[in-house]
Amino acid sequence: MRTVLIDPITRLEGHGKIHLFVNDDGSLANCYFQVPELRGFEKFCQGRPVEELPRITTRICGVCPDAHHMASAKAADAVYGVTIPSAARKLRELMYNAFFAGDHTTHFFALAGPDFVCGPDAPKAERNILGVIAKVGIDAGKQVIAQRARGQRVIEIIGGKKVHPVTALPGGMSKRITPEEQLEMIQIGRDMVEFAKFTIKVFEDIVLANQGYVDLILSDMYAHQTYNMGLVDENNRVSFYDGDVRVVGPDGREHARYRPENYLEYVAERVEPYSYLKYPYLKKVGWKGFVDGVDSGVYKATPLSRLNVADGMATPLAQQEYERYFETLTGDRTGRTMVHSTLATHWARVVEMVFACEATLQQAQDDEITSDRIHQPPTGIVGEGIGIVEAPRGTLTHHYKTDQNGIVTEANLIVGTTNNNAPITMSIKRAAEGLIQKGKEITDGTLNKIEMAFRAYDPCFGCATHSLPGEMPLEVTVHDAQTGEVIDRATRRL
Amino acid sequence: MKPILVLCLGNDLLCDDAFGAAVASKIENQYAPDERVEILFAAVAGFNLLDLLTDRSSVIIIDSICTGKCTPGTLHFFRGSTLAPSRTLTGSHEIGLPTALALGNELGLNMPPEVDILAVEADDVYTISESMTPAVSAAVDEAVQEITKWVEHKRELLAHHVREGATANVV
Repeated sequence: MRTVLIDPITRLEGHGKIHLFVNDDGSLANCYFQVPELRGFEKFCQGRPVEELPRITTRICGVCPDAHHMASAKAADAVYGVTIPSAARKLRELMYNAFFAGDHTTHFFALAGPDFVCGPDAPKAERNILGVIAKVGIDAGKQVIAQRARGQRVIEIIGGKKVHPVTALPGGMSKRITPEEQLEMIQIGRDMVEFAKFTIKVFEDIVLANQGYVDLILSDMYAHQTYNMGLVDENNRVSFYDGDVRVVGPDGREHARYRPENYLEYVAERVEPYSYLKYPYLKKVGWKGFVDGVDSGVYKATPLSRLNVADGMATPLAQQEYERYFETLTGDRTGRTMVHSTLATHWARVVEMVFACEATLQQAQDDEITSDRIHQPPTGIVGEGIGIVEAPRGTLTHHYKTDQNGIVTEANLIVGTTNNNAPITMSIKRAAEGLIQKGKEITDGTLNKIEMAFRAYDPCFGCATHSLPGEMPLEVTVHDAQTGEVIDRATRRL
Repeated sequence: MKPILVLCLGNDLLCDDAFGAAVASKIENQYAPDERVEILFAAVAGFNLLDLLTDRSSVIIIDSICTGKCTPGTLHFFRGSTLAPSRTLTGSHEIGLPTALALGNELGLNMPPEVDILAVEADDVYTISESMTPAVSAAVDEAVQEITKWVEHKRELLAHHVREGATANVV
């Protein structure tokens, strides 16, 4: 048995875990993955004033607190039945797009980069973020960091605080923007768009110019024909902050288009005996197990899904990239033919990042954001509210019920990654089936190829637990399918 | 960017992981605003850490840790460079402090030459709760004293550097 032990000081209980169950003949019997979840949070929300939740729920995730802040504020608006002023909505959207621009940047360069810039078969010592920097140059690395800082600065200006936004509250926003701050954000927007162009160039030169990578993206091993979910605006274009939820089948046909408040009519959750993870599926199609196809209720909610459900992008450069993406991957630039390859999620993220940058610039130039009218005080109470946004990792739903005083009696959250629990399981299984064979040791290369399936989704690790060192490595355990006995285990550290 | 940073990490809703937040609020109350010293509580991970560390001259991080080798409430003081970075990442949640530091240095960013860490041995960082276990809670005051000394020391160093710099200019 090969056990790669990590230094005890860096050891945490919160590993992501993949379990593979192998038959006597070496074939794969079953597999599932676990991520540490922050359980009990919904209960913790009970008994608290709903207006506190936009601040409290930012503690769910140390990577995307902004997404929870937004979904929560929208749900709280609905609880009070209040329509927020137009300027407040614009501020929220601007902050949210700036956040997406930073988050997607990180993912593409730090996580997708090693596989596509260095290559999936590059030596382990090079296949990492530093290897990416070695290839694209230190200046590019600095630009990535600068891009993140731009996103953070917009969050600080609009969100009122470095790191954790605090200004969205039921009825709108609590902090006005000065004309000087607007000017600063316009410049940030301009710099972001330049960075987006740079990223497109990197993608062209390093990924698209290499047929091997394009083939890898299109490889069957990473393809799944499932339904897709994402928010769209009134013209069916990608939208992160608001819109209707659109669900499109693997054949490209619209399955549903609904207002967020009706989500329970469309989505149900499956519980499997071996895991505490919930597996959401499309109610009207039904749960048929972890299988592909138009008859299986499994859906994905990822950057790839958002492009699949949309008819286009709302900004020019992003639209151009959207068309190129579909033309390269399906031969149909309209986007009506679905992309099913999991690894294309990385490319979809680049297209979305371009949109986020352009949208940040556009929205920063709108003078209404400096308006005084940013809050509509609630006057009545509905007692129930649902807020949906697109988190970078997928559709995020906050659903609250309150009493007549606005005290939370029930809360239900479906975080981005939860939507993808079934497809992630399927992707890992597909990859593992091709790689796990009798008598064959699980090499680093095998592990990386399984991880590539997992990594494309950028699963959320319930990272509210981030005691030192704050890292959540992935552990793969191989079990005997009959006895459950552990026969191999590997943890990735370098 | 203020040159001296007291960066308190953790999650104020997760039992002993609230240590950083408790320390931050106590120190904030103790200190008058100072243009050289920033005290920040952040419930963040990943690249967000790198953003906070860039362009500082001295940083101390306050956090919880689970070594299982001593009793809860024990304070550990060590250098950030003793933590091993993880470079092959499986998700954006995996970029922790050591990786952020290594990356910043590799990129040639203006990183602090060393990051000091003051971590409390935690008992429970998995239960959602706004209160810490008694042993960890009792360590807050001691941590605040240590940090106060650390800040004073860094202030003196900084003042010394400024004086040296001024002399050099005159010469």
